[in-house]
Formats: sequence, structure tokens, C-alpha cells
Amino acid sequence: MSFREKTAWVTLCAILLVSVMLSVHASQLYEPHSGLRVLRLLHICVVAFILIELIAYLVLRVRYPKDARTPKDEREQLIDLKALRIAAYVYFAGSLVAVFATIHIALGGPGAVATSVVLAFVVAEIVNYTARIVYYRLGS
Amino acid sequence: MVSTTLTNSIRRLRFEQHEMTQQELAERIGVTRQTVNAIEAGKYSPSLEIAFRIAEVFGLRVDEVFAHHHRGRK
Repeated sequence: MSFREKTAWVTLCAILLVSVMLSVHASQLYEPHSGLRVLRLLHICVVAFILIELIAYLVLRVRYPKDARTPKDEREQLIDLKALRIAAYVYFAGSLVAVFATIHIALGGPGAVATSVVLAFVVAEIVNYTARIVYYRLGS
Repeated sequence: MVSTTLTNSIRRLRFEQHEMTQQELAERIGVTRQTVNAIEAGKYSPSLEIAFRIAEVFGLRVDEVFAHHHRGRK
């Protein structure tokens, strides 16, 4: 397994872990007048994500110092771009659906719309890193 | 539409060059070992620049390392 694939696994696991943290408190996200609570929850999730990423990346860097110093080659850059393209479509479509559903179906306010867009971004990032891992596994 | 495949003889050339490892070849052409493995297996077609670097390592021309095959029309 290449160093980039290991870092992709780390990021995917970190996102999933933070998503689980968010989903435990999912009911709070769409409660009326919960703006500050939602902000604090998102703040905690972002800090947790950064900490998990930082610690895991440092561990990988210490264990594989030579691989960590090697810059991305053309195949790895291509994999990143292909995965990012898929994620961009997911984010675009996900945001539209999330905003439409929040306004017209759930009858949510601006806070709920913002939360839905953030959730669409999280889903797009999960797709991004899953696609990277699949491309690395396929070798192309 | 014409379908084509790119084949190569990198694996044979590596063994003819004192059993050069994928890692050694990767370091000499500036890519990762996994990329050399993907090129050898035909899963990834390298850029022209990498193809020239590989040929240079073995002291051959690009067309002596890589071959282009037509698979007919669809």
C-alpha cells in the first residue's frame, strides 16, 4: 500500500469518525433556535478532525519517512483529480438537493440550510477519499 | 471507434538488467514503486516523459520498451 493510499485511509476514517459524532447529535442540527449549539458542535467536529489527521499523519511520517518525503507522481496526481471530479459532482448535486429539501420539505430556516450544505460537503469528501482508495486499489 | 492497448516489456528488461527491482526503477525515473507496478501490469499508461525516462534507464528506444496494439473497431 502506497503512502498516499495510507493517508487517504486515515482521512476517510477521520471523516467517518467525525460524521458519527455529528450523527449522534443529528437531532440538534435541525432544532429551531439551535444556531449557537450547532456552531459549537461543528467547531468541536472540525477540531477533532484536525487532531485525528495531525496525529495519524505524524505517526505515518515517523513510520515511513522516505515515502512521506517523496512528492506525488503523475499517477497519484491523476487519481486525486479523478476522485475530486466525482466528489465535485456529488457536492454540486448534494447541495442542490439538500437546500431544496431543507427549504421546501423540512421548511427549515437559514441555519438549517447552512447545515445541509455542510453535510453535503461531508458526503462529497467521503466520496472523494473512497474514490481515491478505489483508484489506488485498481492501480489506475 | 478504434480501441488500443499499450503493452510493455519492462518486467523482462528489469530482470535482464541484473534483476533490477521495481523500487530501483521507480527511484531512477522519479515515481513510486506502485506506479511502476501499475505500468508493468498495463493498468496505467505513463506520460511520454516517463516512457522516455524508462527507455533511457534500459538504454533503449521508447518503441523497444512499449508497443501499441489495435484491438479492432467497435
